Amino acid sequence: MLEAVNLSKSYNGVSALKGVSFKVNKGDIFCLLGANGAGKTTTINLFLNFISPTSGQALINQVDTAQQPLATKKMLAYIPENLMLYPNLTGVENLHYFSALAGRKYPSAELTNYLNEAGLQEVAHHQRVSTYSKGMRQKVGVAIALAKKADVLLLDEPTSGLDPKASNEFAALLKKLSELGVATLMATHDLFRAIETGTHIGIMKEGNLVESMTTDQINHQDLERLYLKHMN
Amino acid sequence: MIREIVRKELLEIFREGRFRVALLTVAILVVTAIGVGRQYYRQVNEQHEAARRNARSEWVSQGSKNPHSAAHYGTYAFKPKYPMSLLDNGVDKYSGVSIYLEAHKRNDAQYMAAQDQTALSRFGDLSPDFILMFMVPLFIILIAFNSVSRERESGTLRVMMSQGISPWKLASGKWLAVFTPVAVLTGLVFLVGGVLLANLEDFGLFSWWPLILLALVYLLYYGVFINVSILVSASVRKSSLAFVLLLGIWILSCLGMPKATSVVADALYPYPTQLEFEEQIAEDKTNGLNGHDPWNAESKKLEAETLQKYGVDSVKKLPFNWDGYLMQKGEEHEAEIYFKHYQVLKEIYQKQSKVYRTSAALSPFLPARFLSMALCRTDYHAHWHFADEAEKYRLMLVGRLNGDMVDNSRTGQWDYRADEKLWRAVPDFAYEPVRYQSIVEANAGHFLVLLAWWVLSGVGMLVAVRQMKVF
Repeated sequence: MLEAVNLSKSYNGVSALKGVSFKVNKGDIFCLLGANGAGKTTTINLFLNFISPTSGQALINQVDTAQQPLATKKMLAYIPENLMLYPNLTGVENLHYFSALAGRKYPSAELTNYLNEAGLQEVAHHQRVSTYSKGMRQKVGVAIALAKKADVLLLDEPTSGLDPKASNEFAALLKKLSELGVATLMATHDLFRAIETGTHIGIMKEGNLVESMTTDQINHQDLERLYLKHMN
Repeated sequence: MIREIVRKELLEIFREGRFRVALLTVAILVVTAIGVGRQYYRQVNEQHEAARRNARSEWVSQGSKNPHSAAHYGTYAFKPKYPMSLLDNGVDKYSGVSIYLEAHKRNDAQYMAAQDQTALSRFGDLSPDFILMFMVPLFIILIAFNSVSRERESGTLRVMMSQGISPWKLASGKWLAVFTPVAVLTGLVFLVGGVLLANLEDFGLFSWWPLILLALVYLLYYGVFINVSILVSASVRKSSLAFVLLLGIWILSCLGMPKATSVVADALYPYPTQLEFEEQIAEDKTNGLNGHDPWNAESKKLEAETLQKYGVDSVKKLPFNWDGYLMQKGEEHEAEIYFKHYQVLKEIYQKQSKVYRTSAALSPFLPARFLSMALCRTDYHAHWHFADEAEKYRLMLVGRLNGDMVDNSRTGQWDYRADEKLWRAVPDFAYEPVRYQSIVEANAGHFLVLLAWWVLSGVGMLVAVRQMKVF
């Protein structure tokens, strides 16, 4: 479970985030929409404790990320917009390494299983990541998240630049994880995917969360209209 | 977890061409340098042995003559070349290899290797100490400058840090990943060097433990460079900037500081020039007792005292050879003058050493350099120890010869002759090098400074990694 309590962040007096509060429960997929610079990535970075909040709290399973950054990181998995891996290592080696960092060691058969589950074709498992496409790297990222058995998933525009098929597969994986009880926070520009995959939608503008709703309250057209209204 | 980081870093490093080329280059350089050095060492040692035997046989077979003439004829003391000079030549090249021992005069060591070389040799020697002191730190910078900044630039650092790894473990893993290949390389160099040295014919002077101690000194020195490299890599946003900064640090600590320190030390505590030094000694000598001049004021004084002591009125009536006695007293007096003036030189050396020790706080190169030379017995201290022992031997030799004249001939009996029996009875110069224990005691300060460098730069690295920006 993931919770932002009056979360604010300012850089040299300039507010990037102005007292945002929301909650993502077990199994929910909360999609953050908004223009670039609206504060989506800042919100995610606060949950990762890559930056510290100016005020307010970012809680993961009721634990403050600023107080216990290492403990909260153990509970989350993170896939950035462009997931970078070590190009000179193979997919399996990358997965092995990142899992080991999280304190989980798997035999190679299990690593293969995770990669398969994430949809990475088997021939690529033992190829160096330098030969991978962005979609393939993203799949290793999903495998890393799966292998971490995290309660919380933080996604920063994970499907941008993916082809529709890869994007579709990714959405399917998200749904699967959500059924397993994972709470997901995803920043995205893809309104269609947000409606399709998400359970909740929030619209951010200039550091504020201006709209928050569940996806069964709204359809794609209405969401687009609402979104554009805020952007103008 | 630290082991996993090291494993992954090494895997990455090895799969990259940069590292393989650098490692191969350093390995080839060191092996060549050791090979060349060993050849040179053997050659020098053969020459040394031949010269020593030659000098002794010339001494023994100089024919019968007055013992004091034999003291003037003199002999030579040869400085041994130590096995570990193969690894660090120190100041050997500039300090001379033999001392001419004669009556009345303390000579400096002569025949320095640098004199035999052309001016071109100034452009550098391929010696192991050059590679160990200068090249390996560069090699470290080459593999470590981007160890953190590369991950930040490529974005892997975000994923890595999101996995919940503690900064302490990250820093340790990164550190060990650079240290491992460096330690393997250093270990190999010292192992190869040790085996080569242990297999030399006259390896009596060689023992393993100073070699191991030397390897530890180098590893500590490299540890400082690894700390600083990771510190910079974690603090600076761009790898290119980290590289330039680290190169700057390398130039300052390995080239700039040593040079600046020697300039400062010379300016603060200048040595007298050779000419000044000799003039000062000559002045003291003319004012003192001259064993070859019975009419000299000091000689007259001694004569009066001696006559009174033995209750006779003429030196002819003394129960020993007055000429020999006077010469020996003169010799002892001159020895004191030399001792006094050389003591002044040593005090200047001590003061200069203090300057070096102070500036070691600004560069880890200096303590490492001094430790390395000291353990290889190629520093000034070792040279002076030799020169002092040679001087002691010279005084013993001259004293023995004058003594023979005093005891076995009469005053004025200048045609007295001693022969081979006496020359043989004088023991050959058997030099015992400085003991390692006293080397270690004398250099503990340098070791502590180097250790302080390691600890402080290590703390700096941990703080830098703890506070580093993830993106």
